[in-house]
Order: sequence, then structure tokens, then C-alpha cells
Amino acid sequence: MRRLVEFIRSIYVVVLFVLLEIAAVSYYARSTAYTEARLLARTNSMVGGLNKLVTDIGNFFLLGRENRALTARIATLEEELARYREADEAGKLKVELRTMGESKYRMTEAAVVSNTVGRAHNYITLNRGGADGITNGMGVITPDGAIAGYVVDYSEHYAVAVSILNPVFRGSGTPEGTAYQGAIRWDGKNPHFVTLEGLSKYAEPAVGQKVFSTGFESYFPAGLLIGTIESATLDQVGTTYTVRVRLAADLSAMNNLVIIENLDHQEINDLQSSEVIKNLEMN
Amino acid sequence: MHHVPAYILLFIALSLVQIFLLNNLVVGSFLCPLIYVAFLILMRLDTMPIVMLACGLAMGTLMDLTMGVAGINTIATLLIAFLRPTLIRLVSPREEWRDDGIPSPERIGTSLFWSYLVVMVLLHHTVFFTLEALSWGHLLRTVARILTSSAATILLVWLTERLFTAKISARA
Repeated sequence: MRRLVEFIRSIYVVVLFVLLEIAAVSYYARSTAYTEARLLARTNSMVGGLNKLVTDIGNFFLLGRENRALTARIATLEEELARYREADEAGKLKVELRTMGESKYRMTEAAVVSNTVGRAHNYITLNRGGADGITNGMGVITPDGAIAGYVVDYSEHYAVAVSILNPVFRGSGTPEGTAYQGAIRWDGKNPHFVTLEGLSKYAEPAVGQKVFSTGFESYFPAGLLIGTIESATLDQVGTTYTVRVRLAADLSAMNNLVIIENLDHQEINDLQSSEVIKNLEMN
Repeated sequence: MHHVPAYILLFIALSLVQIFLLNNLVVGSFLCPLIYVAFLILMRLDTMPIVMLACGLAMGTLMDLTMGVAGINTIATLLIAFLRPTLIRLVSPREEWRDDGIPSPERIGTSLFWSYLVVMVLLHHTVFFTLEALSWGHLLRTVARILTSSAATILLVWLTERLFTAKISARA
């Protein structure tokens, strides 16, 4: 009898274990990088306060206050600079695109609440959320203007950005002084390097050449620094280069960041997914 | 049941250290210690399998939520929680249990304790980092990550064990 009870008890545990594992594995199998970001954004409303406290203590020792003030200052300067750049470009093109003094980019400074570089999918959690006007698709850059990621989800007071060190990060880059561009990908290995894929053989990338954003994704303005070329290899067919780029941003040492809002992001997105375009794709 | 409050404290302490310290610690991708497995490793030797599973589920779910890694922690902790009773029987036959307490080198012998510790951590980390990598493409790299992170975790769990048993014996 005792044996029978023992047997039933052990079987019961095995069955429960199998059921729980199936549930966990199926949840894992159905998860995507975006559901992970969503999960993080939701939990942050619970642990965010405590997390912020810990970061604040850390920032106190790193003179976080001064840093924040500086970043805010840089954000306003950056905004002003973007306005001038645009005015300059508009002047060159002799096309009156926009009234002068109005930039389509808005900058907000934010403190990093948590950030990983060691995982397979890395995210940056920032202390700005919907209440501060943050929405999905805003770019995240370092105070000195290097690309770090873009926002994919937010709660009221926090935002989660996919880091450039995340395989789902979508971006493009162009070597300085050329019109050729390629896709930015992280291979999941070294947090200091990304690859620029599909760059035309005519681009002739040189070691040490700077790589800038193209502005095509509408997360970032064009001309933001991504990194410098470390090495370039021509593929077997000899048509495209795969370029190894050393990141300008040190993702492992970030306390404050700048969130960029492209005021035209929604408009561009709407236009790109308009009925006319959809009909074209169908035919 | 006098040991329950101590374990609740251990659960809270380990979660806090993992969430607020280790998850924010950036020392390259090869060093991601997961100290929270100490909670499962240090459960009393006579813990019922069903209680182990419940604890594994609780700790795994909490870690998934805070790390934002959809299920990986739960899969790994459930596995070691399930295998632990068998492993315990291997390293320490029931006849040898003295007052059914916390696994420690004094209680089950230094070499047996260390092999138990290493097997538990390696099992957990193998599942965790393999699922995290999600591909066999970086096999060598994943193996290296498992080994280095396991070494760090093993050291931390050992330290936790020292602290935890010191506190218990001081109280008794």
C-alpha cells in the first residue's frame, strides 16, 4: 500500500512537471523579441521604482546630477543643430520644405534604468514613458550623437528600447562620403561591433572610415554616427561587402541617453502603408 | 515548519540581489551569474518533490518577468527542481541524512556537496544559455558562456550557502 502511494505520488509529480514544462516551452516558443520588450515594459511599472532607486544611488556616486544637466544641455543644442542642418540643406536644395526655425526632430533626455549587453537580445529601459510623450519608434542616441537603439514599447513612466545589440534591431548605415548603404545587424557576439551587410562593391569601404545613419528608417535623422570601419570582406560572388563596424557608442557604459522624436514618423509610416501602396504590392 | 520564514527571507534576498545587482552588472557577455538558483539548491534535503516544483515555478516565473526573457528561467528552474530529489538520493542516501537539513559540505561531505552543486548549476545554465542563444550557430561561444557563468554562479551559491547556514546555526 505504501509503495502504491509512493508510486502515485511520484507519477503525480512527473505529470505536473511535464505539464508545467510544456506550458513554459510553448510560451517561450511563441515569444518574440517584441513580446519580450512588452513583458519588460509591463514589469517595469512594478519593479521600476525600486530599480530607479538603485540606479539613483549608483548615479549619485557617478555624479549623475551633473551628468543629467549636461545631457539636457546637449539635447537642446542637438535640437538646435538639427534645425540649422536642415535649414542649410533646405537652402542648398533651394526647395522650401519647411518654415525656418522648425525642426522635425524633438530631443528628450532620459536616464537609463536598466541595460544589458551580455544577453542574446538586449534592451535598454529608460525613465521616460507615455506621460513624457514617448511613443514607439523613437530613436535613442548617446549624448554625443551615436546610435544606441529605438523605442519598441512604453508604459506611463518607462520606455523599453531595442538596443543596437539585438538581432531584431533594424537600421541602415552609409560609409562617410558615399551614397551606398547597407543593413546594420548585430551578430550576437561582441558588444563593441556590428556588421554592415549588403554594401555595394562600388562603395569601396576603407578601414577607419566613419559610418553614419541614412535616416531611411525614420527612427533617426540622417548623419548620426554609428561607428568606424574595422574591416571589410567582399562576398564570394564579389558583388557586396560585409563590413565590420566598431560601434561609436559604448553600450556597456551608458547612464544618460537622448530620445529623438521624428515628428513626421507617423506621417511617413501612414504614407508607406497607404492603400495605394498596398494595391501596388498586391498586383 | 520553523524553517519556512528563513526560506522566505532567502527567496527575497536572492531575488533582490539578482534583479537589482546581477542583472544590471555589466562584465561582458561571458559573465552572467544567476545566483537565484541557490534558492533551489539550498532547499532542505527532505523537501517534497511537489514543493520543489512549486518553488522552481515561483522563482523561474519571477525571474522571467523581471529579465523579460519569456519562459527561459522557468524551463531551466523547473528542470533542476524536478531532478533535484533524484540527485539528492544519489549524493546522500536517506539513511545518512542527519536532521534532514540544508545541503552543506559538513552534512553530505565536501566532494559530494561540490559535485551536487556543480551538476545543479551546470544543468540549469546549460538549459538557460542554450535557449537564450536560440541557435547552434554559436555553439562554441554558448559552451564558453555556460562554463564561465556557471563558475561565477557556483562561487556565489557557495558563499550564499556559507552565509545561510551560519545564520541558521547562530539562531538555533
